[in-house]
Amino acid sequence: MISLELKKEKRTGLTAVLLISGILGAAYVLVNFAIRGDSLLSMPANPMDILLTQLYGIVMVINMFAIVVATSIAYNMEYAGAAVKKMYVLPISMKKIYSSKFLIILTAFLVSVAFEGLALAWIGANRLGPGAFRPDVFLLFMLYTYITSLPVASFMLFISSLSENIWVTIGIGVGGFLSGMALVNMSDSILMMLHPFIIMFKPAVAMSAEINGTVMSVAIIETVMFFIAGIIGSSKKKAE
Amino acid sequence: MNEYVIETNNLTKRYKNFVSVNNLSIHIKRGSIYGFLGPNGAGKSTTMKMLLGMSKPTGGDFMIDGKRMPEERIAILKEIGSFIESPSYYPNLTGRENLEIIRKILGLKKSDVDEALEIVGLTEFGDRLVKKYSLGMKQRLGLAGALIGKPPILILDEPTNGLDPAGIHEIRNLIKRLPQMFNCTIMISSHMLSEIELVADDIGILNHGNLLFEGSLDDLRLEAGKRGYGDQNLEEMFLSMIDEDNAFRKQRAVI
Repeated sequence: MISLELKKEKRTGLTAVLLISGILGAAYVLVNFAIRGDSLLSMPANPMDILLTQLYGIVMVINMFAIVVATSIAYNMEYAGAAVKKMYVLPISMKKIYSSKFLIILTAFLVSVAFEGLALAWIGANRLGPGAFRPDVFLLFMLYTYITSLPVASFMLFISSLSENIWVTIGIGVGGFLSGMALVNMSDSILMMLHPFIIMFKPAVAMSAEINGTVMSVAIIETVMFFIAGIIGSSKKKAE
Repeated sequence: MNEYVIETNNLTKRYKNFVSVNNLSIHIKRGSIYGFLGPNGAGKSTTMKMLLGMSKPTGGDFMIDGKRMPEERIAILKEIGSFIESPSYYPNLTGRENLEIIRKILGLKKSDVDEALEIVGLTEFGDRLVKKYSLGMKQRLGLAGALIGKPPILILDEPTNGLDPAGIHEIRNLIKRLPQMFNCTIMISSHMLSEIELVADDIGILNHGNLLFEGSLDDLRLEAGKRGYGDQNLEEMFLSMIDEDNAFRKQRAVI
């Protein structure tokens, strides 16, 4: 199923946009630290916190837009030439198609995050000073940022599967980004965290690289919730 | 083995106050070409969509080669090649790559792709991106997608739409040859009797979701004779039948 989906995605740029975002994010981290590294490290904070939180803001925005574009492409290619109608009449499960798209996006995004992580790790090992770089803190933070990005991926794929017009999907993604940015610092209530974009913003606005267990748990629950909604939605849409 | 490959029993599709297909019972014989006729909006596509599991019936049921939908959806769809309303394709892929996707899903041989392209006359355009295809070429690709792997049942909804006269002639001849070539059963819809009478063994005439007639073309001539339509021009017979039904409906609506 995965190989079939990869064949369908040929020339759409779906995986490319995620991989390029990873390279861009890594380049941003390296260039930014090359220019502002000394002033960043002179800040009165833990060097690991500086490394992981001060650079993540822009990296997160790049990731967020890459996710919005990739998820929009994922179903636009099905709707553009009404290919999905052919899929409906072939002996194939729409749930499997949805799951494969989800898995491809998550994997490509993981590679993208790994590129960014490599850049951060290089800076950590070479610029923070002897003994300052802590691989355990670094790996946990990377895992944290990856998991908190998943609700947006899950939500956007769900929206993309419902909307036949790519501009509606992208519009919802941009709306999510703007509203998430506006609301992220307003409250820490769980209700606010139902907004998947706010979850993704959380590590970017934190002052420490410490993991917030509540944010992480809500992220996992939302990811699963939107995934299930997408699975149900894709099979229901087929029925009419 | 059942004589009928497709058999519907009071199949109905209702949308709130509108009945698209009303208690439809059709019988399609194994190895035959069944022409499904009716004006636009008669319910032909809706019926075909129900048969393919794309739309859920609100009443009645049907059997395809002894199997029931939705319980045996995958088994049914493995046996059917279909073309519904308009061609469906991935514009970012070439014609060959599009068929390759279908081939993989159906678990067919690699050579089936080339064979399907050849049947519809697209071999030389197989490596061109589908977004650069003309409407007629997309239509042919849609047909290739239905024919790939020689399925035992073909459901074709207005397959000659968008083709030029030469293309129509070519596809019509192809459809006529298919039962012998593939040993398959074909259900083909059109709103033109002149189109269907050249290929079909049996026909079903649908109007406002109701089946007005089912039988062979000879049966239709006999029926037309009985009703006083005249039996020379089948197109006229078909139109008279539809007009009479429409007039009857109008009268009933006034009462």
